[in-house]
Formats: sequence, structure tokens, C-alpha cells
Amino acid sequence: MIDWKLVLEVIGILIYATFMGFIFMGIERKAMARIQRRVGPPIYQPIIDTLKLLGKKESVTHGFIYDFGPVFAMGASIAALLFLPIANFQLFSSNADLIVVAYMLEVPMLGIMLGAMSSGNPYSAVGVQRGLLTMVAMQLPYGLALIALIQHWGTFKLGEIVALQQTQGWSITVPALLLAFIVFDIVFQALLGLEPFDIITAPAEISMGPMVEYGGKHAALLFTQHAIQLFAETAFFAILFLGGASNLLELLIKQIAVLFIAIFVASIYPRFTIDQAAKFFWKWPTILGIIAVLLTV
Amino acid sequence: MESVEKPRVRVVGEEKVKIKKSFVKPWMGIKYLFKKPVTIKIPFEEIEPAPKYRGFHTLNWKTCVGCNFCGQICPARAIEMTWIEVDGKVEKRPHPKVDYGRCTFCQFCVDVCPTGALGFTENFYLTTGGLEEDLELYDWVPIHPDKVRELNEKFGDYRFPVERIEKKEDGTHIYHLRDGSTIEFKILGYGLRPPAAARPKPAAKPAPKPAEKKEAPKPAAKAGKPAEKPAEKKEEPKAEEKKE
Repeated sequence: MIDWKLVLEVIGILIYATFMGFIFMGIERKAMARIQRRVGPPIYQPIIDTLKLLGKKESVTHGFIYDFGPVFAMGASIAALLFLPIANFQLFSSNADLIVVAYMLEVPMLGIMLGAMSSGNPYSAVGVQRGLLTMVAMQLPYGLALIALIQHWGTFKLGEIVALQQTQGWSITVPALLLAFIVFDIVFQALLGLEPFDIITAPAEISMGPMVEYGGKHAALLFTQHAIQLFAETAFFAILFLGGASNLLELLIKQIAVLFIAIFVASIYPRFTIDQAAKFFWKWPTILGIIAVLLTV
Repeated sequence: MESVEKPRVRVVGEEKVKIKKSFVKPWMGIKYLFKKPVTIKIPFEEIEPAPKYRGFHTLNWKTCVGCNFCGQICPARAIEMTWIEVDGKVEKRPHPKVDYGRCTFCQFCVDVCPTGALGFTENFYLTTGGLEEDLELYDWVPIHPDKVRELNEKFGDYRFPVERIEKKEDGTHIYHLRDGSTIEFKILGYGLRPPAAARPKPAAKPAPKPAEKKEAPKPAAKAGKPAEKPAEKKEEPKAEEKKE
């Protein structure tokens, strides 16, 4: 038997998430422009960009895996999104969905790298190498922050975490989880691929990193994937630390708040080199994460 | 004596210029978020070019004496002297034709012009498509400064005063100006030597071959100083007659 309500909800959430993700990308560009005293593009610019890319006549392809990479990344982002309890929609929420989402948010990077490696471009190879090192480096504080959270609330279910936060106050009001919040926020920057840790794309050093070869429809797919991922990641953040939301508007406000922290950090700090980033991740965020975990025991 | 003394060099201590690293100070950059952007929105706002901004040339056809000083000083060799026939009357002296594909807008030609016939305006906008007929715009005999000023007052956007250059088979050029008026003239030939059609006496000869004409101006420009040109010009027609 098909659960038609769930199907409709899933489609609705997907469309909403894609659209809002593009708007978030627009907000990101606009806010960065204003910090640099520019006017910036209109807020719907990423949508226009994506439509333009979809309208390109030619698409270079380097074989099956090259095409499969972005699709894989997009699928992972969608899966991560659908396991999140967005507002009052409990789509695929089940036991231990926190782990699933935390894992699924990492997979898109792997998908992009899978496709990028098959293009055989040395820039892609360098980008992939840096990306994997960043991922390895950020796993430790990321895991510690999640462990602190799980230990404090005593559950793996995102829905339950939201419910507990509604009754007992947000996660960031707990001192131990405030530390975890700081750690997670640093990791978040790397998850989004924003400035201090945008070593993977590094537009000025290695031209766009893994995405050098992608153009036309592949790039449009990657844009859409990034939009969905942006939405999913901000929603994940809001659910874990800002008490979730009972309706979409509340969630939207929290997501934008989270996004603005990321934008501010991204627009004022310069990029780390890859060795600095690895050292940094294994130093301060790890120390803070361990303290947070010990406090929650 | 001062030259014997040791030169005193002032060195600022490194501890004074070295800035302490900080994690907090970059946040000062956020303050611009709520300030007005310092952007000029070009299609909606205008910027005035500086007075005497070095833009396109103007030429008073009445006072130009065709001395080729401008052609000699031009570092990009963008100026070629052109023999012009206006309303069936041949101009006595050649006029400079400026090629904006090469011109660097240094305006040396304006400084060097002895009669002040060659001038420049603040107009600086010139954009065309890639078609052959559009690209004709980049190669023109500059028009009278008053006309350009009049157009500037009318439009005020500092664009190139000519909209389209129509070229006909017999060398007639029609400049369609932006206000709809036209300037029509005929180009008889290039270089310092007057072409057959421009000769004062009825020569009754076939038109000189283009290959010859193109070669001719260079040695003339090199050898003859501009001051000697009138004498040169008298001699040259004879030389050509002998050849032919």
C-alpha cells in the first residue's frame, strides 16, 4: 500500500528545500557583497544561474562514473534531507536517524569526488586530495560534538531530540552543549565548503578544485545539489542545537540565523592551507569537543 | 662637504610595523554590512568624465593643413592622411584618418597639431558588433568639434558621435550621425601624394594603381621633413608622369 500523504509531503518538502536552498545561496552572495561594500546580485541569482546552465547545448562527459558522481551526490543530499524531521513533517524518521543524517551529509562530497576523479584532470585530483584530507580532519571534532549531544539527550532520534528541547530548553543553553555548538559551528564551515575551510574548491588556488571539468548540465546538477545540501545542513544544525521548529517559518528563521553566522565567519577569515586546516581541526575543536564529551558523561 | 658624510637612512623599527595577530579583530569587517554600498549603478546612474578626458578626436576640416605632423608623432601609427572630396570639391590638403583599432588615445597628435585643427572630446563610449560594416566605425576622419559638442548636449552619454558609416563602391563615405544628419564625402586616396583624381590640373589619366599609392607615402614621410612637403608635392606628380 502506498502512503499517498507521505509521498506528497516528500515531494512538497523537496521542492521547498530546493527553492529555499537556492534562496540561501542568494542570501549568502548578497550578504558577502554587502560586507565588501558591493550591491551584489539579486537574491534569486542562483536560480537564474542554474537555469542558464541547464540551457547549455553541449555537455562534456568522460564516461559513466563522471555522469554518475553528481547524481550520486544529489541522491545523498536528498536522502539526508528526507531523514530530517523538518518542522512537523516526520518523513523517513526512524531509530538512529541522527547517525544516518550525519553520515549522509558527508556522502555528497564523496560523490563529487568520485565523478571528479574520473575526469582525469590534475586540478581535480589535487582538489579531491585536499577534500578527502579535510573530511578526515573534520570527522574527529564532528563526531565528538555529536557524541556530546547524544550523551546529553540520551537518544539517537532527531524527533526525540527536538521534543526534548521543546520541553527542557535549547541545546545551546546547556554549558557542555554550548562547547559542542562551537565545535559543530567550526565543522559546519567545512561542511558547507565556506571560507576558512573552502580548501576543496579554493577558487583562487586550484581553479574550482574537483569541479573544474563540470560544466553545463552537470554543473546545474551540482548547483541544485548544493542548494539541497545547504538547506539540509542548516536544518540539521537548527534541529540539533536551536531546538528544532514546530513550523516551517520558525525553522526558516533559525536556518537563516545559522547561515548568517557561517557567512560572517566566511567573509572575514582567509582560507587555511590544507596542513593548517588539518592541524587546526585536530587541535582546538578536538580539545573543546573532548571537554564537552567529558562534561556530559 | 655633504657628499662625504655618511648618508643617514631612517629605518623604522620592525616592532612598530609588525601587527599582532588577532582572532577578534576581523569581526570589525562586519560593520560594513549595514552601510551603503559604494557602487555606481551604471545603467541608472551617470558618471561625468573629467574635463579634457582624452577621448575621440575632432578635426576642423577648414583649418587642417595636411602637414602630417600627427601622422609622424603617432606612436601606434594609427593616423593615415586621406584625400577627401566634399561636395564635388577636392580638399587642397590631405586630412588625417584615425584608426581606433590602433589608437592609444595618447593625444600626442593633438599637442603637435600646428593649427589646432585636430582636437579631442570627452566622448569615450564606442561599442559595436562584430560585423564588417559595424567595424567600419573604428576608422574615421574626425568631424568638426562643434558638431560633436552639439550631439553631446543632445544625448549627454559620451558615445561615439557616428552611428553608422556607409561605404559605397566609388569611395563615397556617408557618416550617419546619431541625431539623424549625415556627412557625405568621397575618399580619393591615401598618403601624402595627391592621387590622380585630386590633382589640380586635369591629368586625364587612369586612376593610379592602389599598390603604388600604398607604398608611396612611407618613403615620403621618412625622407621629407614636413616643412619641405610643398616642394615635394610639386615634384611628385612629375615623377609619376615619368614612370607612367
